[in-house]
Formats: sequence, structure tokens, C-alpha cells
Amino acid sequence: MTYTLLARCPLTGQVGIGIATYSICVGLYCNGLRGNTGAVMTQAFVNQSNNPLALKLLAQGFMPGHVLDELKANDPYSEYRQIAVIDRVGRIAAYSGPKNRGWAGHKVGEGYVAMGNVLAGEHVVDAMAKAYEAATKLPFERRLLAAIEAGRDAGGQAGNDGHLTERSAAVMVYGDYDHAELDLRVDLHETAVEELRRAFEEYELYRGYYKERSKNPKDAMPQFAFVETLAKKKEVAQ
Amino acid sequence: MTFSLIGRCARTGRLGLGITTFSLAVGGRCEGVAANVGVCKTQAFPNRTNDPLGIKLMAEGYLPARVMEMFASNDTEHSYRQIAIMNRDGRIAAHTGPGCRGWAGHEEGTDCVAFGNGLVGPQVLDGMIKGFLSRPDDALEHRLMRAIEGGRDAGGQGTPDAHRPERSAAIKVVDRRDYPDVDVRVDVHPTAVAELRRVLEEFKLYEEFYRGRDTDPAKAIPQDVFVAQLKAKRA
Repeated sequence: MTYTLLARCPLTGQVGIGIATYSICVGLYCNGLRGNTGAVMTQAFVNQSNNPLALKLLAQGFMPGHVLDELKANDPYSEYRQIAVIDRVGRIAAYSGPKNRGWAGHKVGEGYVAMGNVLAGEHVVDAMAKAYEAATKLPFERRLLAAIEAGRDAGGQAGNDGHLTERSAAVMVYGDYDHAELDLRVDLHETAVEELRRAFEEYELYRGYYKERSKNPKDAMPQFAFVETLAKKKEVAQ
Repeated sequence: MTFSLIGRCARTGRLGLGITTFSLAVGGRCEGVAANVGVCKTQAFPNRTNDPLGIKLMAEGYLPARVMEMFASNDTEHSYRQIAIMNRDGRIAAHTGPGCRGWAGHEEGTDCVAFGNGLVGPQVLDGMIKGFLSRPDDALEHRLMRAIEGGRDAGGQGTPDAHRPERSAAIKVVDRRDYPDVDVRVDVHPTAVAELRRVLEEFKLYEEFYRGRDTDPAKAIPQDVFVAQLKAKRA
């Protein structure tokens, strides 16, 4: 029970993930992103060694289709996994194992995969794909957020007793560096997608400040002074 | 302003980092925790390229002290960084640049190094180390949690007149695998340390269930059923 948009940005070459699920701390499992290498996600019944292995295979030069074959051949329980692999130029392989529970499936588009399991239905991944495609004018991370919000609004996850809430969510983007450009998580919350949006909009206000502070520490204003300027701006806006 | 502790479990060889700060989403800037290699964390005015570089250098065989020297020569703003490095054997190098603001420093303890800046004073580091050492037989994630709480309870960040709250916090622990054993986060919260305690306690209840879904999915019960069982146990 999870829904995910995994993508490579055609404009910047960044790779990213937007994900929401009933499980807690889902960000822990999103360790399959690396700049100039690719993006990999294994979900449903997660095999945690898949993502690091797949990144190494992509770095060696294997195609996503072959990487996926390797992951399957290496795992006696591969039929329980749901996997998407995107390489650094946007080629894609995806798999929803027959033993995924509930409605499970994926939709592959130009440079992205929308996938999920234990969902209200196919319309959830369709809605994610549509929202991601429609948001071409937004920055990459906002496209990922728009996709998971659309998945939620389309009904999200459905267990045996009806709708399942999102209890954790994450949005991550990797670019030129070995470290994440954006890595934002909600680990335990009753409405994790809303909370992720709130955290993201708050963090957005700080991103430029944090970057500049690292590059040019001499001239950086103290953070609590920066917070005060933010509060003033909010007052003026109201 | 941040206070952190890098720790090693001498019994298991597990390595980890506990961190909390006024800044948002600090856990998204903790890439330097690598199984069977070491831990490297740059803070204050962080140089984000340091930590991945430090891990690669340690994996090549360099000692923390030499890694620190290379950081110094690779960064024109090294004097603004606060850095602690520990390798898999527990060797430590630490640096608190004179450009760090407020009270700033680092302190080594048994199997750990505490470091922070923008703090109310050295008692915060003492509190962290005391928390880390208070129950040495516990799992490393619990020891790191107590370290952060010890730092908070000793006054945390700010000046004696103006306390600054912890708005984000994280604990990351690696064992032998390519992915972390424990990786819990609070990114935007008014009392992030208390919230991290809540997330960690909750995560520990699910840890075995999640692992079982990975290693033996055929036997895994649906998660909503597992959650109902948890609820019944609590009641």
C-alpha cells in the first residue's frame, strides 16, 4: 500500500521521487536515487538490498531492463515486489509482481513511472501520471508533489476495510552532487501528504538561505534573524 | 546552531549519528553514515560536499585525521565549518572552526564524539555524552536518542537569555548492509526532539514486521491487520 511517482526531469537531468504510504518512515526505504546514475524504487514487499544493488548496476552501464531482470533473478520473492528503474537518460523498466496485494500496477510515461499497490484502483496511478504531465511549468520537486497529491485526491490506498490514510510521505531530488538537492520527509503523521506539503512550503523559504550560508558563511545573517525577516514578510503578506 | 553525536557500538560495530537543530530538515543533510566505513558530519556552515567525500576517502583507507587535513586544504571556508569524523574502528577527528557562531565545541567520550555550535555552553556536550553512556548495553539508536535528549535537557541551543528550539532532528544507524538499519526523522516541528522520540518508539514496534515483509513476504500479514493487533495490545 503505497503510491509513488519516480522520474527524471527532462530539463535538468535531476532524478526524483514523490511517495506516500500507510507504512511509517517510508523515506528510510528511498535510497535509490543518485545524480547522473538513475532512480530506483522497490516497494510493496520491499527488498531493501534492491535499490543499492540496482544503482551499482546502472553505474556499471547496464540498461534498466537488464537491471530489473537481475533484481528478479536475485530474489526468491521477486513476485512480491513492485519495482521501477530509470536510468540517467530516462529509459525505464517497471514491474508489479503478481503477488502484490490489492489493486497494484504501474504506468510508464515519458521519463517517469507512476506505480502503486493496495490502491483504490487504476485511476490513482492515472491521476498521478496526469498531474505530473500537466505540471510541466513547475519546478521538478513541485511536479512530484502535485503527483502524490493527485494520487491522494483520486482515492489513494484502499485495504480490506476501506480507505487507508497516508501515514508517511517523502519527496527527494538528486542532481549534480553526491548529496541530495532536496530530501524532505514526514515519518509519522495522520495526514502525511498534507504535512509534507506544509513542510515543503516552509522549507522552500529557507532553501536559498541554507545554500548561501554554506557557500559564503562570512556574510550569512544569523538564522534567527532570518526567521524574523520571514515572520515580517508573512505579516506584510497578510 | 546544532548539536550532534556520532557513536559506535563496540559490541556490534554498528555506527550512527544523532542530530538536532534549529534549522529545518537536518536529516536530509546527513549523507555521511556508511556501514563498515564510518561517519562524517559537517555542520555550522556546512560544506555539503564534505560528507560524501569523507566517506569515499575512509573507504579508500584514509584515517579520520588525514581526511580532516584534506578537508582543510579543499575548502576556502574551512574555518566556518564544524566537522566530526569517526571510522569503523572508532578513531575520531573533530574540528570546530573559529568562524562558528555562539558557543561552539566538540568533546570525545567512550565510543563517541559530541559536537555543537550556537549552544548555551559546554554542558550541552557533557549532557549528550552522559546520555549516550547512561545505558551502554542498549541498541545504538536508543543511546543516540538519549544523547540528543541529554543535550536538550542541558539547555541545548541559544544563549543563557534566549533559548532556541529544536525544529528538526534525526537518527541514522548502519550495521553491515548498504542501507540503514534505522533512519528516523522529524523535519519541521516545534519540539523536534520529543517528536523524534515518538517516531523512534513507533518505528521500533514496526521494525520486525517490516523486515519480515522483506525476507519472508509469503508469511506477512496485511499491515492494517498488524496495526489492529498493535492497537489491541496497547488497550
